[in-house]
Amino acid sequence: MTGAAATVARPAISGLVRRLPEILMIWVPLLLSAAHLISFSIWTIWISFTPSTLVPVTGWVGLRNYTSVLSSRNWQIAFDNLLLFGSAFVLLSLITGLMLAILLDQRIRGENVLRSIFLYPLAVSFVVTGTVWSWLLNPGIGIEKLVHDLGWSSFHFDWLVNRDMAIWTIVIAAVWQSSGFAMALFLAGLRSVDGDIIKAAQIDGAGPVRTYWRVILPTLWPITVTVVVIQLQFAISAFDLVRALTNGGPGIATQLPALVVYDLMFQRGQLGRGAAAAVLMLLILLAVLLPYAAWRYVQRQRVTHA
Amino acid sequence: MPITTTRRRLLAGSAATLALPVFARAQSAVKPRLTAISQWSAGSDGAAITALGKKFEEKGGVWQHSPVPGFTTEMMNKLRAQIIAGDPPACSQLKGPEIAAWSKIAPTVDLDSIVAAAGYEKVVAPDLAKLHKPGGKWIALPLQIYSTNMLFLSKRGMDKAKADKIPVTWTDFNALADKMKSAGMAYPLANGGTRPDDGQKFEASLAGISPTAYRAAMMNLDKKALEGPEIKAAFAQTRKIADWCDPNVGAQPYATNLKRFVDGDMGMMIMGGWAQGVLKNAGFKFDDYTIAPGPSDNGKPVFLLNADAFIFWQRKEPDLQAGQALMAQLVMDPAIQTMYSQITGSIPVRTDVDLSGEGWSDGQRRTAAALKDAIASNQAVLSLAHNMAQENGLTAAIIDVITEYVKNKTITPDQAVTRLAEAVESAR
Repeated sequence: MTGAAATVARPAISGLVRRLPEILMIWVPLLLSAAHLISFSIWTIWISFTPSTLVPVTGWVGLRNYTSVLSSRNWQIAFDNLLLFGSAFVLLSLITGLMLAILLDQRIRGENVLRSIFLYPLAVSFVVTGTVWSWLLNPGIGIEKLVHDLGWSSFHFDWLVNRDMAIWTIVIAAVWQSSGFAMALFLAGLRSVDGDIIKAAQIDGAGPVRTYWRVILPTLWPITVTVVVIQLQFAISAFDLVRALTNGGPGIATQLPALVVYDLMFQRGQLGRGAAAAVLMLLILLAVLLPYAAWRYVQRQRVTHA
Repeated sequence: MPITTTRRRLLAGSAATLALPVFARAQSAVKPRLTAISQWSAGSDGAAITALGKKFEEKGGVWQHSPVPGFTTEMMNKLRAQIIAGDPPACSQLKGPEIAAWSKIAPTVDLDSIVAAAGYEKVVAPDLAKLHKPGGKWIALPLQIYSTNMLFLSKRGMDKAKADKIPVTWTDFNALADKMKSAGMAYPLANGGTRPDDGQKFEASLAGISPTAYRAAMMNLDKKALEGPEIKAAFAQTRKIADWCDPNVGAQPYATNLKRFVDGDMGMMIMGGWAQGVLKNAGFKFDDYTIAPGPSDNGKPVFLLNADAFIFWQRKEPDLQAGQALMAQLVMDPAIQTMYSQITGSIPVRTDVDLSGEGWSDGQRRTAAALKDAIASNQAVLSLAHNMAQENGLTAAIIDVITEYVKNKTITPDQAVTRLAEAVESAR
């Protein structure tokens, strides 16, 4: 009773008490992780301008670490691979995810089971994905051997050990892993399309292909942008999958920026150069995320002004 | 185990160390304790260090070993974190030029008096000793030696090819590989495809062609030697080796091929002596294979030295200091080195250990003899692929070129020479 009386007397405090879980659950972790993220980013940027090798040291070497990273063969190969891997992976996972979502959207039996199956790869860690695919794709023990044993002995599928094609094995494994995620987002989008619009289209005589192409898909483009951005930031920071699948090989043919950073920092003992490579990665990420943030901002402005 | 033969030496060594006033005081006052980190967690390496820990405990010490599995660099990450936190282990695994590099970032223990008391310096190969006393003082102690270019010959593989002569030069080796191939062996060589594996293919080629060129180019980074004809010849030989290896091995280690090697599907392997420990641990017998020194064009064995070592980090706690003294004694002890090498397949650091007794394999005896001959003819050089010749940064830059060359058969030996010289220049 006293508690209730106090609540009536001091509504401001009671409001605060009621909101306490919210404050603790959201703001504390948010501030802590923001502080972590920002302080370590600043620290890494600082290290990238120092002559640090085995351990961080103070000093100033200007852009020397950056020029040496940018001129290294490892980084150039990694950057080219990133362009190829990033675009191929995003495009393919988008297409596969959309196709799966549309097929699942046909009110079929066993949809729940199929949806779980397609989403399941996402529950597997990238290291496991990489290891499993490294066995499947290995010509000596995997798919190629299986087909040979079945009798088709001229079958050839040695991408994993072929330095020109090896980057595509990473695309295959990554698409397998994450197209289920794209599917889930698209499926949610398809389900939220207003049934009346679809009915109207059908009454107007549009077939299923035309209905999807002209009526349903155009409503999905905000989801598409989200999927692209999420997948792109994954592509840029891809590390564990590549490390388990090819470890940058054959030779250094499948290097990616994150591998170069790890290699410089922890295997070559060149913290300064590693930090410079990490900052370069951050810049690539910003090049994707800033336009996205700007787009979101413009969208919101339009909504509030409308 | 034939520890009896060396027990007297052990007693002499311990007595000499106990006579040192500082350590004697420390040892009598507290129970020695040792915190150690290494990458040796499993297989023959794990078994060996566990056995060493048992010996440490038998001497009344407290053994606190934290293994960090994986590559050496992963162990280094833990070491780095501990050093930055101001809490280094009393002793850690570290080897080659990294000992000099790391000793600059944290204070180490001066082991001169304890090494002198054991009379250790005169039984260690001079090139090796130099690595462990970077500032002129002993701060680290080598534990065991491997040669990275031992030639393993499969008994069944040799039978299959109807060959019985151990190849001495690269010409012999190439002829034997061709013979094996025409006897129906698709891939006569059982080597793996990891970075150090590829590095070993090249270093074995170059050192076998000319140890002098190897010393100048890989150890001293002499610009003229780096562009010399021997390097080109070594790249050509490396290509031959790569062509005889199973390309499907990808980036997997050599150990995946050991069964095919013993079964005779693959006849040869150029690998470090540690493969013997792995083979033994996997249940294969000594007479399944023969071990000989790697091909050498001048007929005399070339020894590509790889030595594991412990570095001792300065600690204030008296029990840790006592533990360091005890550990140093044990590591230098011929009986301990015998025990350790018999588990891992290496050879002892001490050149005065007798390997004729039981418990040693012919391969180990041949390796030890090769080391003696190689030191006498100045053909004992430091391994590049296993981080003995250069610091990690330079090693990695050189291996980048080698591993790309091994995997990409469109790069010519001439191009590889140019790329190697450029890589060294930009990493320096």
